[in-house]
Order: sequence, then structure tokens, then C-alpha cells
Amino acid sequence: MIRSIFAPLMVLLIAIGVHGLVGRYDDGYWINQLTIIGIAIILAVSLNIVNGFTGQFSIGHAGFLSLGGYLAGSLLYYGSVMFFQTRPEPGFFSFTQPFDRMDPTIVWWGIGDLFFLCVCLSAGLFAAVAGLIVGLPSLRLRGDYLAIVTVGFGEIVRILIESSQRQVPLSRLNRADGWDLVTGWGSAMGFNYIPKFGSLFWVYLFVGITILTAIRLKYSTHGRAYLSIREDEIAAEAMGVRSTRYKIQAFVISAFFAGIAGALTASSQGTINATELAFMKSLEIVVIVVLGGMGSVSGAVLAAVVLTYLPELLQAETFARYRLILYALVLIFVMILRPRGLMGTREVWDVFRRRRGVQG
Amino acid sequence: MTAAKLEVQNVTKIFGGLTAVRDFSIVVETGQLQGLIGPNGAGKTTCFNLLTGVYRPDAGKILLNGKRIDGRRPSSITSSGIARTFQNIRLFRDLTVLDNVRVACHLRARHTLVGALLRLPNHYRDEAHIRAHSIRLLERFGLLDRSEELAGNLPYGDQRRLEIARALATDPKILLLDEPAAGMNPAEKIALKELIRQLLKDFPVGILLIEHDMDVVMDLCDRITVLDYGQIIATGKPEEIQCDEKVIEAYLGCPAHSVEEAVQKDLERGTDV
Ligand SMILES: Nc1ncnc2c1ncn2[C@@H]1O[C@H](COP(=O)(O)OP(=O)(O)OP(=O)(O)O)[C@@H](O)[C@H]1O
Ligand SMILES: [Mg+2]
Repeated sequence: MIRSIFAPLMVLLIAIGVHGLVGRYDDGYWINQLTIIGIAIILAVSLNIVNGFTGQFSIGHAGFLSLGGYLAGSLLYYGSVMFFQTRPEPGFFSFTQPFDRMDPTIVWWGIGDLFFLCVCLSAGLFAAVAGLIVGLPSLRLRGDYLAIVTVGFGEIVRILIESSQRQVPLSRLNRADGWDLVTGWGSAMGFNYIPKFGSLFWVYLFVGITILTAIRLKYSTHGRAYLSIREDEIAAEAMGVRSTRYKIQAFVISAFFAGIAGALTASSQGTINATELAFMKSLEIVVIVVLGGMGSVSGAVLAAVVLTYLPELLQAETFARYRLILYALVLIFVMILRPRGLMGTREVWDVFRRRRGVQG
Repeated sequence: MTAAKLEVQNVTKIFGGLTAVRDFSIVVETGQLQGLIGPNGAGKTTCFNLLTGVYRPDAGKILLNGKRIDGRRPSSITSSGIARTFQNIRLFRDLTVLDNVRVACHLRARHTLVGALLRLPNHYRDEAHIRAHSIRLLERFGLLDRSEELAGNLPYGDQRRLEIARALATDPKILLLDEPAAGMNPAEKIALKELIRQLLKDFPVGILLIEHDMDVVMDLCDRITVLDYGQIIATGKPEEIQCDEKVIEAYLGCPAHSVEEAVQKDLERGTDV
């Protein structure tokens, strides 16, 4: 029992710790950076469940990110007024700015925080349903063909959102009907003025949950079934592994966390724009996963940290200009030199134990 | 332990214009060790693929203990008790030896995905059980000291044995071995023969064995079925097969005086993987 609960408790403590420490001392720079890095970790680790564990090739992860982000955005923006008349004030754990800007009357934990948790889970579930739908073609298609379907999915999501109605201003909310709210996803202008709840606490809580899920999956009967499908689907079936079921399961889990990453993006930046979450965003996540290692959770985490913080270290503008070339080069070299990524399926701790492969 | 019975009735498989298997029938029961031989391209592996659901038969029935299994998914057929090895070794190369076997113990796990993610007690119970069972199997196959190595790094003979261990981990009632001796050296072949004999004593299975090495087949099998161009041309005891005119003809392409030559030719053709 203790070992089952210990890791989740650690996740909770770390999330509280990061929030409490970084929020206290800073001007907001690190809050920002760590938020971006955290979200990248969630995206990379969750995509790794599909691409790395089951060996399916999905390049549509930004589609799930968008869906989750927009659902969360509209729930927070429209929903908070509808359910609470006014925006519920974020409590301490949902405070997204440095603490010195905090109102001293702030509550530790309010109804707004619970609301935000529900929003995150809804965003995850919404994306998971989409994951189920995108997962279905994976039953029939392999490799490149499946990749094309996922690219198509990402683009469809982007175009649908871009062709949605304008966002309804809060002042006119009481005159709008339900349909305006459902279709009012901000068109190509993006969805703005989203109440900010996405604090470091929430980001690192979900970072922890995502990593924990991936690791517990990998070192379990179910996760080994995923890996066996990646290795050889025919042999996996011959060993009694129901490959269709597991492939869909992987897509659903992966999409769930991407949806949550979307909710965190929307509510930490206060805005979300599908145009920025197009194919290139999906490719960026693929590059992180490929670099980190197909199937390596710790590899994905490391690669997410490095590739997200690197542009910050180098000069941001110069880097932004050559970013895509750099990503393409990284992808090409990794594919040629180490097709399974820098870490392969191994984890950091496997390397230190000087053993190879998956164990548990 | 109830005895299991695999019945194949007049199964046919057509690829485009090529009839790979025609009117194939065989019965395999627990405790038996039957051989399936034939020249290259005779349709032996296709038979295995039909039995394990990789292909759907175009005609005919496959029954396990009286229940039809043709048309079902491979995983479902495995769970009802038929396991196989592959001619062109299909191990999970980037997984460890232990994990290869543990994947095959998959059907023993009762806990759900949620149980695994929350690490509920039944997860630990199943995992401990699976681990113990896998280690027992590896020990039996002399692979325990390599359990943490990647399967793809094993020597060839070990890979073949790991394939058998992995197939057995699914608790089969009927075990299909596709050229287990291919690529083995003479010493390994002798050990393999002993291993297969012992399996039959220790596990409640019936074995159907495809093998090009006549020495192995004639030594091991109680009964042999010979395929040529997808059709059964002979079936009987090893002694009977050895003297069967049609069999000798099939192997040499012309009537011949001795099986020795047939065997020789087959050996020269070497391992086809
Ligand atoms: N998927 C397929 N599509 C088309 N033809 C196939 C397919 N699988 C097998 N065949 C053909 O069916 C025939 C039988 O092949 P099979 O692999 O069953 O032979 P085999 O008896 O196992 O031969 P070997 O001793 O070489 O392993 C061959 O002519 C082969 O080319
Ligand atoms: Mg064959």
C-alpha cells in the first residue's frame, strides 16, 4: 500500500514545492520558463506513449493540445461567468504570478481551484475522445500512412477552430445563446482573456502525474504489451496481446494528457491560438520524443527540458529563425545514427545500473 | 487435466492464383508429437498461419476441443490454447529475455489498466506471479543467466529456444514449432531434441513440428504428415514416410533410390529463414 501511495504523494509535494519556491522569490521569469518547460514535458511524455511505447507514428499531437486548450479556455471564460456569475478568484495554489503581487486576503484553496481541476479533467477527456477517434485508423494503417492520418487530424482541428465564430465578449454574454458559446471559439484571432489558473502548482502536478502514469505503465503487464506491439505486432498477437485494444488505449491515454497540457497552456498564458499549434508544433514534440528516445520516459523529460530551454539560452530571435532547420537536422541525424533516439527504450537509471532494456 | 484436441478439416488457402494449402486435414492431441514436412514452399508455414489466425482459411474448419477457432483473431486463438514459434525468429528484440517471456504471460494477468496505474494490490500479485513463472521457464530453458540481456543480442540457438519458452509461457494446449532447429549446430540440435522430448513429458501439450532436418523429425515424431504443393501426399509413421515413393519423389523431383540423398539435398539447401 505504501509504495502505491508514496510516488503520488511525492508528486504532490514536488508540485507544492516548485510553486512555493519559485513563486516566492521571483519577478516572473522563472515562473514563465518553468511553465513552458513543464508543458513541454507533459506533451513529450504523453506522445511517447504512442510513438515510443506502441511504435505507432503520430504527428498530430498539437491537435489534441488545441482541443484541450480551447475547451478549457471556453469553460473558464464562459463557464466561470455562467456558473459563478463572476470569475472565481484563484486561491493560493492557482496563483500564476509572483507572490509579492498577491492580495493578502487570498484563500488557500477555493471553489475556483476545484473548478479549474474539473476544467483540466474535462479538457483531457475531450481530447481523449478525439484520441479514440484518431486511434481507430491505427488498427488498419501502419507507419507512414498512419502518420499522414494524424497530420490530417491536426490540420482539421486547426482549420475547424480557425473557422469558428468570434469570441463573445463577457458584457454581451447574457444576450448570447448556447450556440454562440459553443461555436464562439475565437476564429483565427485565438481565444483570449482566459482566466489564469494555470499556476506552477497545477503544471507540475500534471507533469508528475503524466510521468508517473508513463513509468507505471511501462513497468507493468499492460505497458509491456504496448512495447511488444512496437517490437513485432504479429508476434505480440501470437502471445495473446490484443493489439487493437492496446493501440487505441495508448492513443486515448496520450491524448488525455495532451488535452490537459492544452488546458494548462490556455490558463497559464491567458490565451490560446490554434494557428500557432499547427503541424510545426506537432513536429516539435516528435523531435523531442525522437531525440529523447522512443520509449524512454526520462529521455523524453530530458529532451523536453533541453530543447525548450535551449532557445532561451541562445539568442531567442536568431534561434527562432533557424529553429526549424535545426529541428530537421536533429531529426535526420538521430534517425541515421540512433534510430531509437539517444536513450532508446532505456531510462536514465538503467544506464547507471549498466543494464540494458526494460526491467521492473 | 483434460486432453485437448486440435482438428483441422479440409482447410484451403489461396493467395491470388496460388493455392498455398489445399484440403489440409490433421488431428493433434495432447501428448502427441507430430511432424509436418515438405519441400520449400510446400505450404507448411501457411498451415501454421492458418491455425493461429494470421490468415483466414478460404475453406474448411479448424476446431479446438470441438469449438471452431478459424476466423478469430490471433490473440484470441492464443488465449484459447494454441501457441507457436516463428520460422524467421520474431522475438521482441529490444526487450530483455525476461520481458519477452513476461509479455507472453500477459494472459495470466487479471488486473485492469487502472489497477496497474494505481498500483493496486492485484497488480503486485499478478506481477509477482508472472515474474516467478517466467523465471521458472527461463531456468528450464537454461536462459536464466541471460534474463537481463536484450533478446536481439542472444546467439542464434538461444533465440530459437527463447521462442519456444515464450510460446510455452502462454500456457498452450497445442504448441506449433516452425523449424526450431534451423541454424543450430549439431550439438545444439541434439540438445534441442532432448528438450522437446522433455517438454512433452512435463507440459500438457500436443506438439506439431515443422522441420527440415530429417534427423530431428524422424527421431522425434510419432507421426508425420508430408505436404507438397499445398497438398498432403503422405501421412504415417516415420518408417513409413521414409520409404514412401511419393515423398521421395517430392523431395528429389524425380524417383530416387534412397532417402539419404533427399536428406542430403535438403541439408544443402540449408536454413531458409
Ligand atoms: N502472404 C502470402 N502471399 C502470397 N503468397 C504466399 C504468402 N505466404 C506464402 N505464400 C506462398 O505460399 C507458398 C507456401 O509458402 P509457405 O511459407 O507456407 O511454405 P513452407 O512450406 O513454409 O516453405 P519453407 O520450407 O520454405 O518454409 C509459397 O509458394 C509462398 O510463396
Ligand atoms: Mg516455412
